[in-house]
Amino acid sequence: MADLSFPLISAAIGIPALAAAAAFGSDQRARIAGVIGSAGSALCALECLREVQAGGGARLAEPWSLGLFTADPLNATFLVLYSLLTLGILILAPRRDTSAKITGATLLVLASTLAAYGAGNLLVLAAAWILSALPFILGPFTGTWRPRAGLSASCIAIIGALGIIASAAHDGGATHPFSLAELQGHNFGGSAAFALLIIAIVCRKGIFPAHAWIEDAAEAGPILPVCLFINGHLGAFLLARVVIPEFPLSAQGAFPILSDLALFTALYAAVRAVAESKARRILALLVLSQSACILAGLESATQEGITGALVHCMVVAVATTGLFSVLRLMEVRFGRSFTSDHYLGLSEYTPRLAVFFVVCGLALVGLPGTLGFCSEDLLIHGTLVSHPQIGLLLPLATAMNAVSLFRLFSKMFLGTQKTGIHGISDAIPRERWVLAAIALFIVAAGVVPSAALSLRRNAAQALNGPMAPHSTTVAGNR
Amino acid sequence: MTLMQAVLLAVVLAPGAVFSLFSILWLLGWNAPERALTRVTAIVYSLATIAVAWLAWSLHASGGATIAVSLGDWFTVHDYHFPLVLLGDRLSLPFLALTVVLVGLIGQFSATYLHRDPGFARFYILLHLFAFGAMLIFSAGSFDLVIAGWEMVGLTSVLLISFFHYRPGPVESALRVFIVYRACDIGLITAAFVMHHLTHSSSFANGMPHLTDGDATIVGLLLLLSAAGKSAQVPFSGWLPRAMEGPTPSSAIFYGAISVHAGAYLLLRAQPILMESPIAAAAVVVIGLITAVQGSMIGRTCADAKTSLAYASLAQVGVVFIEIGFGLTWIPVMHILGHAMVRTLQFLRAPSMLHDYHQVHAAAGGHLEKTGKHLESAIPQGLQLWLYRMAIDRGHLDTILERVIVQPLVQVSLFLARLDRMGLPSAPAKAIKPAAMQSVTAPNEGVIDG
Repeated sequence: MADLSFPLISAAIGIPALAAAAAFGSDQRARIAGVIGSAGSALCALECLREVQAGGGARLAEPWSLGLFTADPLNATFLVLYSLLTLGILILAPRRDTSAKITGATLLVLASTLAAYGAGNLLVLAAAWILSALPFILGPFTGTWRPRAGLSASCIAIIGALGIIASAAHDGGATHPFSLAELQGHNFGGSAAFALLIIAIVCRKGIFPAHAWIEDAAEAGPILPVCLFINGHLGAFLLARVVIPEFPLSAQGAFPILSDLALFTALYAAVRAVAESKARRILALLVLSQSACILAGLESATQEGITGALVHCMVVAVATTGLFSVLRLMEVRFGRSFTSDHYLGLSEYTPRLAVFFVVCGLALVGLPGTLGFCSEDLLIHGTLVSHPQIGLLLPLATAMNAVSLFRLFSKMFLGTQKTGIHGISDAIPRERWVLAAIALFIVAAGVVPSAALSLRRNAAQALNGPMAPHSTTVAGNR
Repeated sequence: MTLMQAVLLAVVLAPGAVFSLFSILWLLGWNAPERALTRVTAIVYSLATIAVAWLAWSLHASGGATIAVSLGDWFTVHDYHFPLVLLGDRLSLPFLALTVVLVGLIGQFSATYLHRDPGFARFYILLHLFAFGAMLIFSAGSFDLVIAGWEMVGLTSVLLISFFHYRPGPVESALRVFIVYRACDIGLITAAFVMHHLTHSSSFANGMPHLTDGDATIVGLLLLLSAAGKSAQVPFSGWLPRAMEGPTPSSAIFYGAISVHAGAYLLLRAQPILMESPIAAAAVVVIGLITAVQGSMIGRTCADAKTSLAYASLAQVGVVFIEIGFGLTWIPVMHILGHAMVRTLQFLRAPSMLHDYHQVHAAAGGHLEKTGKHLESAIPQGLQLWLYRMAIDRGHLDTILERVIVQPLVQVSLFLARLDRMGLPSAPAKAIKPAAMQSVTAPNEGVIDG
């Protein structure tokens, strides 16, 4: 295995970790430390991505890390995307959301999530999985009991799976029982380990029936860190990085059921959002629904579905960051948590924030001209090939999500004309630039999707390989 | 690329380019003056009209059947391709011409009609996006590309219905329309997938692929679902009167001319598939017939001009559907072109309708004959009352959809919400420390963080 030129992944993890330590020291310096930390992490991740692309998509090991961290087409894009999302959030977050404690914990989530992405070792991945959840279990991002319970369950499940796999690998003569490369294809731990990993994924990702914690976390917790945490998509990453390569036979057998469950979750969340009135919960349900579509795509065992799922990961992460950001900015401006019970007509005061909300929302539900259209197109085609009957739930869920989103938009921004409010400004420069970057990415990548697809193509091929005996493709236009 | 291909490409892309330009400038903080918007609109659509006319003449003079512009694949994943192919043929060119002519006219009309309206720039930006979407629909060489244009037209329709967004009525109407659009679009999306699955292609650039009777029935019915939603045919006709909340120029071009006929265009394009399935063709005829009769009756009971015109429009589109179902091609095209022109004029004249009526009334010596007496005399009184009640309630369609679909869905959603909230304390949502808005009447100093 070739090496990266520099321990870039360690640097991408270490810089925000150091910045977190610096941020904890002072409320005044917290945002600056956060921005520097996440920017440094993003630069390292970008260089890592460049080297992976230059290496033709081969897996690269980090020098001096003893195989603990590796980079390949699957994780390199996630490293960049997550760093940039964190950078964006820390730039545009309102002042009250950039205290030392919040910024430090956010950077901790960033560092641990990047560690999970870059892990070449199951022990490191599990540790990072747990570490990234700690701020939501122990604080400062705790809310009601259900997020703590759901995330705790996922941590316990992954620890259990880790133990079983390590034991089985050791008995099986593996020299490095935690090395992901060495575990590949051996099915160490059998059905028990597979089941525990699936439980961890279901709890983390919010697949029915373990879905409710996401709504609770979005409603009660600080919304921007929650958004960042959810958009780590570590559940989908664990599926792609560990489950599919390590347990190909079990995956082939179980994926039809899991895919059906994911599609059911997508529809469930879409139906739930129909009569939901709280804005935070509506957005959380939309994220839940679209995230479940990602899982369904990964489990479709088609090249189109897997590629669509990996691209949709990017779309969901970027678009929901935009949506949650606009919602938070509106909450801070108008001093309230929003519901969809009454028309508020806030676009009169914040027209550009309203436009950003619309652009991000429409990308999430697949408007043509956005990257969401391409990813949804691939997802639908791939899912309908593998699940001709139940696959119809996907466009149905997406349609319902679009309606819920438009309902929320119209209630918040349209429908009445307020008077007597002064001094409310539209997006201030640092907010505008971040949201514009998000919108530009969504639209530019949608108009020219080949760049985004090429980033995910090698990863999709690698994932489809283990599933190859039962994989199918959709023959396209000739 | 030949000159004809280049011109076709330019005509299709021009509205999109104008939309992109003005929307980006607006996002960057520049509010385009009215004069700039109207002049650019006038120039672009004048040139587009000339270009489309030249294309039609060139195609006719060359004796060719089609101008096809292949731009390769938008994206490719393994064996799946999304081809970008634009078609200019004897079906699409009339619709392209109709679009550029009417959008240009509406642009000129709106310069005066919406002068000094706060949403002037927003109207023109959405008008250009709509035009781009319509051009994509009419020039698309595959069902996948039709979907792209279809969604854009639907979105702009909804945003323009809620143009007067400071009133709840237009916003609620826009939401209702959006729901119908999204529900019916599932038909088009699924039809495109089925075509991929059956024929490895959703492209019709080289003619519509041949399907077996059963496959043609499935695809035909799916396309009919989508077309019926877009063209406000039964049972989806309830949204059309709600769409009249938007400004008159957008009502004219959307529901008098372009958008309402998009469904008919889709069926015309897919007519070879419909003709392979007697069931699908019969369904088109039946839906068109019911809509035509219902639209005629309901239109007679409307109390405002635009709603009355909307139902008249709907009835005519129903007749177009009947023509398409019977396999006619050129009659529906001529019907659509003529109907679009007349209806657009009527919509634009709608605000002056009362004034026109008074003029006609005065010219007739103050005595105008009531119309329809011969129909009333042929129908028994009891039946008249029943039909009147049905017409007043607009065919009971909204009531039926509300009871059969909407309310059960909402009840299920509320039940699931109760399930999800089990185990949670019933505390109210945590209030955020107020920053600005305490009362809608009390002036406040805004507090901005950061």
